[in-house]
Amino acid sequence: MNRSRFSWVPKILLGLTVLFFYLPIVYIIVFSFNNTRSLTHFGGFSLQWYTKMFSDRTMMEAVGYTILVAVVATVVSTVVGTLAAIGLSRSRRVLRNIVEQINNLPVMNPEIVTAIGLLMFFSSLGISKGLGTMLLAHIMFCTPYVILSVSPKLRSLDPNLADAALDLGATPLQALTKVIVPQIMPGIVSGALIAFTMSFDDFIISYFVTGNGVNNISILVYTMSKRVNPSINALSTLVILLITVTLVIVNVVPIIKEKRRTKA
Amino acid sequence: MEKKLIEFKNIVKEFDGKLVLKGVSLDIYENEFVTLLGPSGCGKTTLLRILGGFLEPTEGHVLFDGQDISKVPPYKREINTVFQKYALFPHMNVYNNIAFGLKIKKEPKDIIEQKVKRMLKLVNLEEYADRNVTEMSGGQQQRVAIARALVNEPSVLLLDEPLGALDHKLRQEMQHELKRIQQEVGITFIFVTHDQEEALTMSDKIVVMKEGEIQQIGTPTDIYNEPVNEYVANFIGESNIIDGVMLEDYKVMFEDKVFDCVDFGFEKNEPVDIVIRPEDMDIVPRAEGKLRGVVKSVLFKGVHYETIVETKLGTAITVKMVVKNGKPVFNADANEKMSANDFYLDTADVDELDDATIIARADAQAWNPDTDEFVSIKEVKYEIQKENGTYPVTFSTAAGTSVTVNMIVKDENRVVNQEYEEEIFAVNFFKNADEITESIALDTDLKTWANASAWSLEDGKGVEITNVDYDFDPETITPGVYDVTFSTEGYEYKIDTTDKHEVGDVVGLTFQPEDLHIMSKS
Amino acid sequence: MKQFRSMVYPYVAWIAVMIVLPMLLIVLYAVTTAGNDVTTFRFTLENFARFFSDKVFLDVLWRSLFIAVLTTVICVLLGYPIAYAIAQRPEKSNMFWVFVITIPTWINMMVRTYAWVGILQDGGLINSILGFFGIGPVKMMYTTFAVVLGMVYNFIPFMILQIHTSLTKMDKSYLEAAADLGADRLQSFLRVTLPLSLPGVLSGITLVFLPAVSSFFIPKLLGGGQYVLIGNVIESQFLTSGDWNFGSAISMIMAIIIMISMYVTRKVDTDPAARGKED
Repeated sequence: MNRSRFSWVPKILLGLTVLFFYLPIVYIIVFSFNNTRSLTHFGGFSLQWYTKMFSDRTMMEAVGYTILVAVVATVVSTVVGTLAAIGLSRSRRVLRNIVEQINNLPVMNPEIVTAIGLLMFFSSLGISKGLGTMLLAHIMFCTPYVILSVSPKLRSLDPNLADAALDLGATPLQALTKVIVPQIMPGIVSGALIAFTMSFDDFIISYFVTGNGVNNISILVYTMSKRVNPSINALSTLVILLITVTLVIVNVVPIIKEKRRTKA
Repeated sequence: MEKKLIEFKNIVKEFDGKLVLKGVSLDIYENEFVTLLGPSGCGKTTLLRILGGFLEPTEGHVLFDGQDISKVPPYKREINTVFQKYALFPHMNVYNNIAFGLKIKKEPKDIIEQKVKRMLKLVNLEEYADRNVTEMSGGQQQRVAIARALVNEPSVLLLDEPLGALDHKLRQEMQHELKRIQQEVGITFIFVTHDQEEALTMSDKIVVMKEGEIQQIGTPTDIYNEPVNEYVANFIGESNIIDGVMLEDYKVMFEDKVFDCVDFGFEKNEPVDIVIRPEDMDIVPRAEGKLRGVVKSVLFKGVHYETIVETKLGTAITVKMVVKNGKPVFNADANEKMSANDFYLDTADVDELDDATIIARADAQAWNPDTDEFVSIKEVKYEIQKENGTYPVTFSTAAGTSVTVNMIVKDENRVVNQEYEEEIFAVNFFKNADEITESIALDTDLKTWANASAWSLEDGKGVEITNVDYDFDPETITPGVYDVTFSTEGYEYKIDTTDKHEVGDVVGLTFQPEDLHIMSKS
Repeated sequence: MKQFRSMVYPYVAWIAVMIVLPMLLIVLYAVTTAGNDVTTFRFTLENFARFFSDKVFLDVLWRSLFIAVLTTVICVLLGYPIAYAIAQRPEKSNMFWVFVITIPTWINMMVRTYAWVGILQDGGLINSILGFFGIGPVKMMYTTFAVVLGMVYNFIPFMILQIHTSLTKMDKSYLEAAADLGADRLQSFLRVTLPLSLPGVLSGITLVFLPAVSSFFIPKLLGGGQYVLIGNVIESQFLTSGDWNFGSAISMIMAIIIMISMYVTRKVDTDPAARGKED
């Protein structure tokens, strides 16, 4: 059949796809080790841009702020989002529909609209822009993703599970911690992961609501990209490394755990 | 009887303006096996959940041992539940599922172990303590759920359709198992089901519910033998339910005959429903029967035959089928063949006539004789008036092949049955012999060809035409005129017999006066 | 049932303040004029009139829509075959490929976009390769090509993943049934697979069009300072010229355009005749 005759077509297609997706990433990593300023000619291996980066105070501050904001926003939005999702799953339909619609606004709206809304909101209240506003904004746009990732798990849960725990003498709090939360853990973890990367990668909203010299990595790359500065490559490589490590941990640890469990 | 354990006092439950329970009062005693029986949506699960503490009644009180527990949260009640689909905690193994309640109560570890082991033994799962609950079969999960509830030593166990997810054989096994466990632990079981067989085999007391109200409370035998109304009779076991009139005490009339019965206390000439269980009737030679009829179908049910005897035809109409041996028209220029037949119409059909209907009724088709592919009919030409008469109609294809047949408009195509308040309609029709021999579902085709339909005069709803009778052999039919009779279902009795009767036998039916159960029309 | 119901109330308060209020502020600013304080504001449609009467702004709007539509079309045309090729792989490598497509989306969008600068530059990677064959240099940076490329690069994973999901969750027995009823591979694809995967394509379109129409740093990075799309206009209203009222009005116009286009896609999605499927 003609299936075998054209079987190379999808292979080539997928090969080109990988090239398209990963070429820029590899390019950045390679040129972060360049020994010249050029972004186009590789002159030889050097670590000079890394030393420059680590000695650059603004860059290190940006890295610090990015991680700080991402961690706090992830923790807060995961807790708030999980509790809200559980409450929502038990709410009356009208309330649930309204909250879900509003919850979807930051997800479905262009980020720039959310950003200017927050910008005007903070200024009208006279809150000065900086780390605090950035944190509030990040919690605000991360929480909907946690809810979106926890809610399906709650929906697929046997509605009688919580009742069964109460029936067996557990208080509502015990039912929550001993039965419901363990059941929806995968949703909570993936929600937290989404929240972390959303916050870690965010540019648009942070760009509008920050001030007082508080920058994150994305803002730094944006403002510095106007001049050729290979330290950005080093910083970007660092970002790629951080995210990849996070992804590997999140994806591999459960597999190892599962293997240990089945062995035992 | 023993002591009252639970009292439902006039329980009303409303969900979003809908009344699910309409004032239910019910007493449950110690060590009873009580079944709440009814179709889905009858409120039985709601009542159970109110007792479990998962729902609060809108009105009314629940007393437990004389104390009002309507406001007590579920975790403070001495009641445990086996949930629909079990609600086992998927992240815990069998042991931890069963130990859950004891761990919550912070019992010492060795006591927990002892109790769990005893429970595993009670439900025959000693080997399965470390098993993951998600890897177990439905029947095993079921046992874990029972053990998990019973280990807390409740005074009442609630079971919400616990056998619903099991297959037939396993369900029967678990029925015996549940009864054994209940007798062994000696506590009250309240069991919710829609399955009357489960209810009859296991219960000490059955509560039949319908639309949020209790219909009847009684032992399985009471409910089976003396249903209070048609609904209960229909729901519990198979039964023949006949319309009749109670003439006076001990005298009931149905099918225009008067019969002795053992019931009394009805008003004179009160319309009633009469229930006769299939196993209480007997088939005898025609002359000895209290009723006479024809055997309509026989089904072998393992230990007995379920025989259906029809004592009275439904509404029937007979029409003429004219069988011809028409030859298709052949158009050599276009290489097309075409055929169509005459057909009858009722005057009432004339208004709604369109091309597609005419093509279907005349069975007009055109095809290429070499490839056998159909050619579409491009034009339908006719003139018709709304009165009796014969009107020609011409079908033609794009290539010019055409056929002319007659549409015969005629009324008097309906029969009204005042007793059943039914009307049936059918028209005469023309067919080619080969269409009859080639039909793969002749009864259905005959109905279509004759345009047969029946409806109730009370509410205008359609009534199924169950019988199509004719006396020709479809395999060898030759041109001529044949009668075809369509009829609706008449009076039928379902009878369980050990002898086999042949379909078409003319038989008599007999029963004893005490087998007639008379119920007021509700 | 209602034991945990109260847990939602703090969040209701939070979204009322942090989501609803800012949205209302945008509307409020859009229909008022600058300068007056909140107590004495005056209703006006001036900001909208200003946008629609100025050819410069209308040109920007058209260009933004054109770029977004072009990006979306390219994403569908490239994304469908890619998703289909992945879906055809054995189940195990399906997981792997989904992972391959997903990883780049986790990495900072800004960083990945910036990476293209080096590749597309006059002396960059592509022009070096072209130069090797004696072609070029071709100017790619600061052109529409670069902007659309950047958008396709950033947004096509959403399209691929959406289509892939709808392809893999499709019941294989539909294809068996189609084959059983005499459809060949091409017919099965056109009459069964394609219509059944349409919902995935439509949600992919939403996920690509939405960020494409509002993007402002991709045109800035790859299109240069002269390349202005509607997102850049909004940015400058807020961060350079400080005309929040006009900026809010433009945001509203953009949001309405997006809402209309999403409504249209959803309409197609729920119209059973258009997708040949009811579930």
